[in-house]
Amino acid sequence: MSDDEHTYEESLMGEEEETALEIAALQSKDLLPQPKKEFAYHREALSALRGEISQGKLSWIQRCDITSTTPVVVDKAEDDLDRELKFYQQGIEAVILAKQKIQKAGAPFSRPDDYFAEMVKSDTHMAKIRQRLLSQQKGIQNSEEAKKQRELRKYGKQIQQEKLKEREDRKKAALDKIATIKKRLRSGDMGDNDGFEIDVDSEDDAHTQSASGKRGKDNRHVPGKKRQLKNDKFGFGGKKRGMKRNTAESTDDMSTFNVKRNKSAGFGGSSKKSKVTRPGKARRQRGR
Amino acid sequence: MATLYKTAQSEFMDVDDVIEEKESRNKIKNRVLMVASRGITFRQRHLLNDLEALLPHTKKEAKIESKQDMELLNELAEIQNCNSVFYFEARKHQDLFMWISRAPSGPSVKFLVQNIHTMDELKMTGNCLKGSRPVLSFDATFDSEPYLQLLKEMLTQTFGVPKGARKSKPFFDHVFTFSVVDNRIWFRNYQISEKNAETGGDVPKNTTPTLIEIGPRFVLNPIRIFEGSFGGPTLYENPRYISPNAVRAAVRAQGSAKYVRRVAEAQEREARVQAEPLPVDPLKDVFD
Repeated sequence: MSDDEHTYEESLMGEEEETALEIAALQSKDLLPQPKKEFAYHREALSALRGEISQGKLSWIQRCDITSTTPVVVDKAEDDLDRELKFYQQGIEAVILAKQKIQKAGAPFSRPDDYFAEMVKSDTHMAKIRQRLLSQQKGIQNSEEAKKQRELRKYGKQIQQEKLKEREDRKKAALDKIATIKKRLRSGDMGDNDGFEIDVDSEDDAHTQSASGKRGKDNRHVPGKKRQLKNDKFGFGGKKRGMKRNTAESTDDMSTFNVKRNKSAGFGGSSKKSKVTRPGKARRQRGR
Repeated sequence: MATLYKTAQSEFMDVDDVIEEKESRNKIKNRVLMVASRGITFRQRHLLNDLEALLPHTKKEAKIESKQDMELLNELAEIQNCNSVFYFEARKHQDLFMWISRAPSGPSVKFLVQNIHTMDELKMTGNCLKGSRPVLSFDATFDSEPYLQLLKEMLTQTFGVPKGARKSKPFFDHVFTFSVVDNRIWFRNYQISEKNAETGGDVPKNTTPTLIEIGPRFVLNPIRIFEGSFGGPTLYENPRYISPNAVRAAVRAQGSAKYVRRVAEAQEREARVQAEPLPVDPLKDVFD
């Protein structure tokens, strides 16, 4: 071996470190595992050996090796995506170069469509792979559909609320209109009486009196608009007492009643239906 | 007369024919013996099977019993007419070491095989003809160091399927990529797809092909390069290699650090108590 044969270790660590290691080793004797000091690296021998075994005189088509133009540099080997991308790039570069070289050498590159032969992975295995891909795709589709449905439902709720509000508004507006017409009628302004107003009025209190002869309790003092608004604002809006009590109306309100729920086990209904029913009296006596 | 005819014929031979004849004479007869040791796990065995399926020029032998007598492998290679050996040495039913050796005169390399993924995994969707020749793609880093150059040559000779090998198909539909990342050699196998990925239909010529991974995947961590076949002087030793045993021991040591600390604390306390005994109480015997 020649002079420039040196150990890898020497290039890695400085003299100071080496002496420090030696001192530590002397002190600890053989209690501690001693760091390995020499790593063999015979560059010349390796190069010579490579020349010896190389089959370089053979044509390229026998070897089919391609070396990438740029070295693969991956910052973090743990970063799967980056690493695999670099490998892919290396592969695709090699394929493009190799295809040119192979075609230049006159050898076939791609398999003709009518050439069937055994594959590395069996048909059953490939079917499994396809199945997995399909189920994966389906899963994605399903989740997307569900997401869309959720969004739609949210949106639908909004629409429903808007519709309800609109209906209420319309009702309110209609009631307001009726109230104003009534007011006008009551104040005795009969000058511009048209058919509509008569209609409303007759509908409203048809059973009491005729429109012209309105007197009595309906004719009591009504506060002005400003007063009414102030009353609403400062709490003079009628009686507050007993508002939470049941009334005949609320007692009769069965809109929230649900037969199904009422008969469920938790609400005092029988948990299971009795299958054997008691026969009628006549039948029972006949059976005696 | 026959000799005359022969010489006459050779004079009229085309240049191409001459080259072809020369090539056929110089044909590589690379054959690889593939052997595993006893105690190989199922995943490692599947990796072996995958490599056997991908490399038609390999000859698989039965598992060998002894891990010491590796001279036997050279003899086996000679019997099987192989000039290279893949020896998969399993240790402790978990670690896999791979030897690549040129029998019978060397050199040989020992690798630690890490991150094994076999072709059976459903994530790898590519497929290729059984016995088709691969394009070998090497990272440019392989040319930077003498030991990597030697490894590149050895990998080319063992993983490259020689032209016209028995059971091989003449087409190129997959590419092996070897990349050096993190001082290890990463192996990937991709299918070269020249069809439309979505429809499976034909694409116009001269469009770049796409790669689909076939598998297997593994990482080779070089440990040593020997001059002989399975022995001889060490030419290269990886200074960054840490044996899996050492890694496991370190992990265990880390786990046991808590226990070690508690034992040390207990001992310290005992010593302290003994060093400073409690003073005798003068009123101890007052009521006796």
